Amino acid sequence: MIPPDADTFLAGDPGRSVLLTIPSRMEMLAVVDGLVQAIVSQLNLDEDTAIAVATSVVEAGTNAIQHGHGHEEGRPVHFRFFLGDDALEVWVHDTGPGFNPDAVLAADPTGPEDIFKARGRGIFIMRSLMDAVEFELGTRAGTTVHLVKRLGPGNGSSAVAGT
Amino acid sequence: MKMTRETLDGVLVLRLSGQLMGGPDADAVREAIQEALRQGGRKILFDLGELTWVNSTGLGILISAHINASNLGGKVGLARVSRRIESILAVTRLDTVFQAFADEETALRALAS
Repeated sequence: MIPPDADTFLAGDPGRSVLLTIPSRMEMLAVVDGLVQAIVSQLNLDEDTAIAVATSVVEAGTNAIQHGHGHEEGRPVHFRFFLGDDALEVWVHDTGPGFNPDAVLAADPTGPEDIFKARGRGIFIMRSLMDAVEFELGTRAGTTVHLVKRLGPGNGSSAVAGT
Repeated sequence: MKMTRETLDGVLVLRLSGQLMGGPDADAVREAIQEALRQGGRKILFDLGELTWVNSTGLGILISAHINASNLGGKVGLARVSRRIESILAVTRLDTVFQAFADEETALRALAS
């Protein structure tokens, strides 16, 4: 199934894009992680970068399933990976209502008052581990999270570029 | 996620494998912890050696175990933490909350004392 904002979601070079759609079940995040592992292996990313990407994509999927779709498994979560020369970009789309960015982005779950809370770490983790995290919120189509990891020296994309 | 449990030297040892991500399997972890605390257990060791990763929801399960045990005067430890799990604990500063041990034997000695 193609997400409602398909034009935006599918924009970009299809020769460098990988798409995945999963039902809103937490255990399906293992499938997402499996794909991420394959992609970071193709890109020859170092271990720390690979961990950062995998952890962040899993967090974006967790938010989509949990908060976006309330675990309604019939509502699909869409992932698009763009394997660029300079960056790995990931879009994660759900059809949920989004969230209040001011409240969420200001939160620091590492502070003494919040560190013992059982929830509220997902976006903080993504923002800590990725080079850029952007949200498209409150549209009729739902919520999209855009994650960017720049590929520096030692993190080449030769397998994709074919060099 | 799969889990086996064993009580050694008064410590409930929960050995987790796969991924801890808050799906239906994670309910078994919550129930094992609650049951142990109800029965008077106060020390819990999570052996994470076979756990490939944990997400923020899974971290919440570990934190809840820590809070529930601490409120009753107990302790929670982690053993055999992989580099990937170490990374998410460091980012969230939860590495300052949990005692982590290289192996079960070391952890049991520390928790049992």
